[in-house]
Amino acid sequence: MCPRIKCPCEGKILFSAENDNFLPMAGDEGTGSKETLISDLTRVRFTNLDKIMYPPLYVTKKEVITYYIRVAPRLLPFLSDRPVTMHRFPDGTGGEDFYEKDAPQGTPEFVKIFSHYSGTADREVNFVVCNNLDTLIWLANLASLEIHITLSKTGAYESPDLLLFDIDPEPPLSFDDVIDVSFVVREHLEDTGILAYVKTSGKKGLHIVVPLHAGYRFGEVREFAHHIGKNIAKDTSHVVSEFPRSRDPGTIFVDYLQNAQGKTMVAPYSLRGTPAATVSMPLQWDELKRGVRAEDFNIKTAISKKEEPWGGIFDNKQKIGK
Amino acid sequence: MAEVSEKDNEKKRKAAAPVIPHPGESTQQGKAGRPFWSGSITIGLVNVPVRLHTMVRDLSVSFRLLHKADGQPLRYDRVCTKDDRVIPWAETVKGYEVRKGEYVIFEPEELKAIMPESNRKIRIEKFVFYLSLDPVYFETSYILTPDRSEEAYSLFVTALQDLGRAAIGTITLRTKEYPVVVHAYGGGLIVTTLRYADEVTLPQAFITSADLPAPKEAELALAKRIINDLSGDFSMNDYHDRYREAVMNLIEKKLAGEKVVYAEPHPEEAKELMQALKETLSTLSAK
Repeated sequence: MCPRIKCPCEGKILFSAENDNFLPMAGDEGTGSKETLISDLTRVRFTNLDKIMYPPLYVTKKEVITYYIRVAPRLLPFLSDRPVTMHRFPDGTGGEDFYEKDAPQGTPEFVKIFSHYSGTADREVNFVVCNNLDTLIWLANLASLEIHITLSKTGAYESPDLLLFDIDPEPPLSFDDVIDVSFVVREHLEDTGILAYVKTSGKKGLHIVVPLHAGYRFGEVREFAHHIGKNIAKDTSHVVSEFPRSRDPGTIFVDYLQNAQGKTMVAPYSLRGTPAATVSMPLQWDELKRGVRAEDFNIKTAISKKEEPWGGIFDNKQKIGK
Repeated sequence: MAEVSEKDNEKKRKAAAPVIPHPGESTQQGKAGRPFWSGSITIGLVNVPVRLHTMVRDLSVSFRLLHKADGQPLRYDRVCTKDDRVIPWAETVKGYEVRKGEYVIFEPEELKAIMPESNRKIRIEKFVFYLSLDPVYFETSYILTPDRSEEAYSLFVTALQDLGRAAIGTITLRTKEYPVVVHAYGGGLIVTTLRYADEVTLPQAFITSADLPAPKEAELALAKRIINDLSGDFSMNDYHDRYREAVMNLIEKKLAGEKVVYAEPHPEEAKELMQALKETLSTLSAK
């Protein structure tokens, strides 16, 4: 469908046949350019590599793609067989951004597609499934800074294999307070013998994730998560477990509602469209101390971390109580 | 499928002979952009679902600043004015200068807490005659297109048109709330953000007509005659950015003369990316 077009300049000057623009358009993209770089190592044709994706940091798309390539060995296992939602920033953060569930026009053949009825869109959606490095690079090249994943896999779409608590503070409470509450959630889970993993959302909160045995239904998982939230809210005045109170000032919402078919969470190691180019960072529980900030884990620092706190997560599937 | 391959052929043809686009050329006009906001116009209990499209673009020529010696682009860094050190983003904080050198410090959370919340609504408060609006307050216009319900949209356009009215309301775009005016234009609707009153300086701040000398009768008659002689219709298409056109012409000439030394990105310039790719491929294949 989309043949790779050899550039007649034979590599001396590179430009994109796709956009048929040889020079950057004045005012169109600032100082951007529309050249295409073709490499034998990937089927993706890189475009606009020098476009600024994070203006405050002067991080270019080249650096974004490089980040995703470097983090791929850790990230790909979480993307495998899950429909992704792209959160694209074609003009970088601060520009217009949009969520995209449908595979866009011109999606290359190496990208796996999963067609499924979407309730929110009320139609069949052709989801992108990122099962290989080229697809990940292609997503990065589309300026999909953020990659969101479902909590179930395409093979058993109705049955979640991940449980998610999304814990967010309302000012004046802060990240430190979220850290405290996340330890309470972990304690409640551990009391029933359940192992939990934690990551920063890359924004203001934390995500606690439990890998699940096969066969659970979203309904019962949601109910279980809600139950835990309610128990904590009973003992802790600033914790709320119900959606209507979730925006009350000075509260922390333990959100169980994401545990539903088709709902998504930002993938571990995904970048966020924040000014500081934060990453949704998997952490060891003992790294998580008051004073830790979402901004500590960003496009520059995330990759230098040696440990894989979530390594082996899918070999540690948990049973949850009725 | 036949259509697709034809398109590809066209792409190939264009690839063989790159065309230098002149910003603002007729090919650029009428290009319908992707909506970047969808929500609804709400009038009391009535909702008109709409999408928002960019209407205005700035086509001014912009140059990139290069290092003269080697033609490489320069970047900006955040440099501390005290010790000239480059400051990482994590060590920065926002301050509002209250007096020279004196700042009130804000944590990101504090600012976030008071930001207006985007509710995806253009909330209409009243209707006025469009011609009674003062254009000095107009800021940026966006095109509104129907989102699913064309009936509601059409009804609203026709009603506004028939009455010559415009709707006044508010919208939150990104993190700022704007007063807006929605009116029928070119068969559709456009929404225009407005400046707040205190953002606009009025001429009275400088002059009052009472201070001006009264013009002489004969001179006024002459001035009016000149104005009448020069009166006519005006089309925006009669005006072009001549500086921009000259720059684009020069670029074309420079390119034809092959004196362009700066082309990006060369594979070497994406060296780090390619290195990462090699390493990751070998890591993945070892697994």
